[in-house]
Amino acid sequence: MVAFRNTDPSGRTTGLLLRCVLYSLLALGLMIVDKRYENLAQIRRWLSVVVYPVQVAVASPFEGWDWFRESVTTRDALRADKARLEAELRLAQFRLQRFAALEAESERLRGLRESTADVTDHFIIGRIMDLQLDAFRERVLVDKGAHDGIYVGQAVLDSGGVFGQVARVGQLTSEVILLSDAAHAIPVQINRNGLRTIAVGTGDTNRLKLPYLPTSADVVAGDLVLTSGLGGGFPAGYPVGTVAEVRRDPAQSLAEVEVKPAAALDRSRELMFVWLKPRVAELPPIAPPKPAAAKPGGVDK
Amino acid sequence: MMRETRIRRLPVLLSSLVALALAVLPLPALLESLRPDFLVVVVLYWSVESPRAGGLSLAFFAGLALDVLNGVVLGQHALALTLISAWATHLRLRIRVFSMLTQCLTIFALLTGYQFVLFWIDGATGNPVTTFSRWLAPVIGALLWPLLVGLLGKLHER
Repeated sequence: MVAFRNTDPSGRTTGLLLRCVLYSLLALGLMIVDKRYENLAQIRRWLSVVVYPVQVAVASPFEGWDWFRESVTTRDALRADKARLEAELRLAQFRLQRFAALEAESERLRGLRESTADVTDHFIIGRIMDLQLDAFRERVLVDKGAHDGIYVGQAVLDSGGVFGQVARVGQLTSEVILLSDAAHAIPVQINRNGLRTIAVGTGDTNRLKLPYLPTSADVVAGDLVLTSGLGGGFPAGYPVGTVAEVRRDPAQSLAEVEVKPAAALDRSRELMFVWLKPRVAELPPIAPPKPAAAKPGGVDK
Repeated sequence: MMRETRIRRLPVLLSSLVALALAVLPLPALLESLRPDFLVVVVLYWSVESPRAGGLSLAFFAGLALDVLNGVVLGQHALALTLISAWATHLRLRIRVFSMLTQCLTIFALLTGYQFVLFWIDGATGNPVTTFSRWLAPVIGALLWPLLVGLLGKLHER
């Protein structure tokens, strides 16, 4: 360090070029190592602990304000909330009554076909930290990390449907890439007819697209789009969105299909990290083709 | 250990930390694209004003912090910040005697260089960002410069 601060009495820094070259080479080296090898994942995980105080310091005033606003709500507002939640709970329980029976039936049918099903095993809830990661990419920072067992590629849901997947894991935080990020793709299925395709993000939080459907494909506005579970990254059967618009140009071979995401990508605060139950039965003879963009969640523990 | 002129590091560290916090502060979507690179402008200020207090080490580690916060490839911001900080240090004796308008233009050139390095690395690592709004940040950053000179100048002279 002392050698690096070589200054002559006039205050002119000497060896500026040398230091510039040294630091640049260091940065270049870091980039190459980070890109080529996975060794830096561990270092990065701990570096993220170093910047954690800054993140908490920035996010906490907003959380404090939320807390303050919640604690001064009136009795009437709370009662209205309670009534609404009770009504929702009743409805949810009503639906759940049938769910157990349906799940058992589904297991039985799958057993008949000797196929295996990914059933979600357990999940934990994480809170989105109120921080801006990168203005040009659809990513959020969540307050759960390697410490809680989060791994890269893990599926993330919110109360409406699929939210995204884990892109990077720190010790205490992790970075989730949204469905709508232009670099994100997820294997899906149209619920009405089982048509399989891939939903790709557009960079716009309210829009996904299905770019690989031929003009003749049987898809209409209003169709529910679910995860297909192919590729193994996401659990099957969770809502991704509904088809908003189908444009068919006879001159083109592919239709333009837009999907409105089911998850509240721009409003959710709480997210669920899902663990898939390990496949118990033997694998089917031919493994399903893996879509290139949806990486199967490598176990990174 | 130190020679007769003591190097004051506290203002440098303090202003850098504040700028780092401003870099990740959530903003409404409309303002988001107008967010200048606070930390970069602050590092440039110290490179011009007092390279011995911060210098390239400050630039490198500030860049590394941005890399970790932004979740991009490690070393991206570090490289860009080191390069333009060295450039600013090289030019600093001239920058100080420039008029404010010329200073702003120089800072604009430096910030554009910074964005260009980031843009180039984004492309090289395979996640190109092609939105035009990226090139707005240098303009806002350059407009921020006179404000920063006034503010940090006070902090520095005290």
